[in-house]
Amino acid sequence: MSEAMIEIDGLTKRFGAFTAVDHVTFSVDKGSIFGFLGPNGSGKSTVIRMLCGILEPSDGTARIDGHDVVRDAESIKEIIGYMSQQFSLYDELTVNENLLFAGKLYDLSGRPLNQRRDEMIAITHLEPYLDRRAHLLSGGWRQRLAMACALMHRPTVLFLDEPTAGIDPVARRELWDLLFEFAGRGMTLFVTTHYMDEAERCDHVGYIYMSKLIVCGEPDELKKLPEVNPPGTRRLDVTCDHVTTALQAMHQMDGVRTATVFGQSMHLLVDEKVKREEIEDKLRQVGISHSEIHEIGPSLEDVFVTLSAKHAEGEKQKEAA
Amino acid sequence: MKKLFRGFSAILYKEFIVMFRDRTALFFMFFPPLLQIIAFGFALDLDVKHMPTALLNQDRSLDSRRLVDEFVNTDTFRIVRVVDSADELAATIRRGQAYLGIEIPPNFARELRARHTAYVQVLIDGSNSTTGLQALNTAINVTFNESLSRLIEESGRSGVPIEVRPQVLYNPAMRAPNFFVPGVIGTALQLATVFATALSIVREREKGTLEQLLVSPVSRWGLMLGKLVPSLCVTMTMAAVLFVILRWIFFVPIHGSVIALFVSAFLYIFALLSLGLLISTKAQTQMEALQLSMVFLLPGIFFSGFIFPRETMPWIFYAIGACMPATYFITLIRAIVLRGASLAEFWSSLLVLAGMGAGLFSLCAARFSKKIG
Repeated sequence: MSEAMIEIDGLTKRFGAFTAVDHVTFSVDKGSIFGFLGPNGSGKSTVIRMLCGILEPSDGTARIDGHDVVRDAESIKEIIGYMSQQFSLYDELTVNENLLFAGKLYDLSGRPLNQRRDEMIAITHLEPYLDRRAHLLSGGWRQRLAMACALMHRPTVLFLDEPTAGIDPVARRELWDLLFEFAGRGMTLFVTTHYMDEAERCDHVGYIYMSKLIVCGEPDELKKLPEVNPPGTRRLDVTCDHVTTALQAMHQMDGVRTATVFGQSMHLLVDEKVKREEIEDKLRQVGISHSEIHEIGPSLEDVFVTLSAKHAEGEKQKEAA
Repeated sequence: MKKLFRGFSAILYKEFIVMFRDRTALFFMFFPPLLQIIAFGFALDLDVKHMPTALLNQDRSLDSRRLVDEFVNTDTFRIVRVVDSADELAATIRRGQAYLGIEIPPNFARELRARHTAYVQVLIDGSNSTTGLQALNTAINVTFNESLSRLIEESGRSGVPIEVRPQVLYNPAMRAPNFFVPGVIGTALQLATVFATALSIVREREKGTLEQLLVSPVSRWGLMLGKLVPSLCVTMTMAAVLFVILRWIFFVPIHGSVIALFVSAFLYIFALLSLGLLISTKAQTQMEALQLSMVFLLPGIFFSGFIFPRETMPWIFYAIGACMPATYFITLIRAIVLRGASLAEFWSSLLVLAGMGAGLFSLCAARFSKKIG
């Protein structure tokens, strides 16, 4: 039986007339990785700041390990780690000094402080850069240092706000390997990201759109949602040359509901009555003689794109009414 | 107690490293006060010596030369030019080549011998009222003394009927630096301290590191004190340097106790650093912090009694001056340095400074919020 580490109920934040976070409700299990997704400006960082106890909610409640984020903010600060979008490090301090400072903030000192620092250095492989000033580090190393700093006090919950933005693919992969390791040791991770491959790796994902949480659950569950798989339709992956030409052709074809490019192929949502041969015929008409078609399930991106389009539609109808 | 100042040692650790590593900031902390004391100290010397003087001596007698010597012997005047006509004399002053023109008419010695009144004309450049007034007073004194000594010679008395024996206390030579330089120390410290802390929290707010501190369990008091103490150490060092300059460059004797001087400086600096911190918690950008600082710094220069005596100010300026820490520090430092006053004699000024420091510091810790937005 999994236990909730983060419980959010009707959490709302208004800045004047603008509602940045609108009655968001979900919970995150202890020791799990929660992926928090949504477009820029949808309210992801605002939610994190409220959870960290530095931004007062306008309405609703949130608890971390049983501590209320409003009444008990200072207790929360003892157990959380936070890595902000800009990797807030002190540029004038060296890597070593940044780590020591982060530890001292939580009353670590003497031998335990040095031990913990050494552990963090071992995990993040920062030892060649110990005496380098933080501002001379490249993006990937800054990110590692920021994470090491956030972990110095052994937090039970770690918030990472777009930890992989602007980081090269190798550093990204390595970071995720670390996150899995931490989760395996019982740490709860709350990660915002724009990358779908990262979202796929989370235990649970939530998608916030226009200040509202529109979906939340395990990635595989979400892919089975009826809204994403309308009855009487199926999803096809079409691999062919000249994808852009092919895409235009598909948009014009009857029975094709959506068509999106995925690298070298297209993902189509088509009515069940549409046969493969019809698609191949259509492609041949625009000069694409060879194509490979097979049926697929929806990706997480399909899930989010479909649901946010639906949500936007719903909002529009509400406004009209 | 530990909880109240939670995180203090961490902030202290970081602030000290950052302070000594940022050489430019350190330079700009030290340089302006040093420049200020040197420049103001020399420029504010209102004792004018060796004023350039032009001479038109149409008499050329022993008597007229004796009078000219008396002028020169005061050290106030220095003959830079000897001219031949009244027009040339006036032109020399107009061109700014001389502050003073002495014109001795051709009949000077003759009139003197005939026991008539001999006239000497003195032209003074009044465009600078300070030097003009001093030149006027000295010129009148010189001729008056010369007249008097001639009268005594004629009367056969051994001396003047009444002689004043003045005893100037505390600054016997009445040197202007003795009065001004301690005041300059007050304003120089004011400049360095307020800027030192006014930027500290705003800078972190702008860089985003403040948010990182806010999610940690550091306490408000620990954060504020950790920000204040390193600046306190640096500015106390600077105060010591300024006292050294006072004593050994401007040769101002320190009559009171050096400990009293440092106690006053400590309370003064603490109050100013707290003021800077308060500005830092209020301002959203560094620009705003600088502007707010100026709002407090300028009255501290004009209404603190540093240049203009407070007693003659309109009540509103007097009242503003009463709110400025500089006012109390300048009172204290002048009393200690010049009059050798003890702290016990000026306990009220000390108390006000201590109260201001404690009040301002508590205010910034109390009103600083560990929330954003």
